[in-house]
Amino acid sequence: MTRRGLLLACAARALAAAPSLIPLDELAFRRMVTSHRGKILLVDFWATWCSPCREELPKLVDLYTAQKSKGFDLTTISCDEPEQQASAAHFLQTQRTPEPAYIRHATSDDAFINAIDPKWSGALPALFLFDRKGAVIQSFIGETDMKLLEKTINKALAS
Amino acid sequence: MKHSFSASLLAAFLAASSLYAQEFKVGSPVTDFSVTKLDGSPAQFSQLKGNVTLVMFISVQCPVSNAYDDRMTALYNDYAAKGVKFVVLNANRTEPPAPVRQHASEHAFPFSVYKDENNVVADRFGATVTPETYVIDSTGVLRYHGSIDDSQNLSRVTTQRLRMALDAVLAGKEPIQTETKALGCSIKRAPKS
Repeated sequence: MTRRGLLLACAARALAAAPSLIPLDELAFRRMVTSHRGKILLVDFWATWCSPCREELPKLVDLYTAQKSKGFDLTTISCDEPEQQASAAHFLQTQRTPEPAYIRHATSDDAFINAIDPKWSGALPALFLFDRKGAVIQSFIGETDMKLLEKTINKALAS
Repeated sequence: MKHSFSASLLAAFLAASSLYAQEFKVGSPVTDFSVTKLDGSPAQFSQLKGNVTLVMFISVQCPVSNAYDDRMTALYNDYAAKGVKFVVLNANRTEPPAPVRQHASEHAFPFSVYKDENNVVADRFGATVTPETYVIDSTGVLRYHGSIDDSQNLSRVTTQRLRMALDAVLAGKEPIQTETKALGCSIKRAPKS
């Protein structure tokens, strides 16, 4: 096999092994949050086209790795278009994000965004931190102040 | 501990609120503001506005904003002739005038693009995402705030939200939808002291 062929085969294998993303609408979102009751949950709305989202995802995974034993969960929801789903799944695989991972599947972005938080404009990155009862503690819209996020997570875990 | 945690969260919320003190809301007047031409000279909204005015926040780097470049040009071609004035702004601290000028040139934008230095205008409109649009009527009142349409993918667009709002305001009517949302890139704001 040529070097190019080997590279193509490796790339194809990686894509084939990438986990599939679970479609998620407004109702499924609420069910997902409820399923994490008893834990502090950080939900990351991201997209492959969002450069700051891609940059901060490894830092979120580091936070998750450090805090998961204390009752901290991280869930990712891709806001990519359907044709970008494969590359979104592949990116998540490279970042070793926790599974399951989701992709927005809403008939109306208006309804979807408002169901998550009426104050959210739809700007990415968007992080929502939920308490153990499934209520929003705080949102982080746009580039995230990681120190503030970590501090807020630690306080939530300690409360 | 719970009390101090709540207090610190409230403080963080209040601090965040003061960063984005939205002044212009749908149904309320839009007062004058300053923008910067790409040659560095100032311009006033009062000199740029028309009978109906479209204020639009765009980006050089945001793929979602760029997905709308052709649609923005088509909007201008269709609505400038009807008397709509375009005030197109770049409020990203990460996008200085030179790349904004190059981007406008490469895409042959028929409208001028202005810099909103330190996102002062974005703060007053409460703009947080690109692309994000605002339609102002002949009396200076904000009549529509939201997205251009309902999909960044042109083939999936079902509702021309901005065009419907412009048509309504040009006809002296209230838009059917006055506030809409869409996913996009956050405006990269200047740090506040």
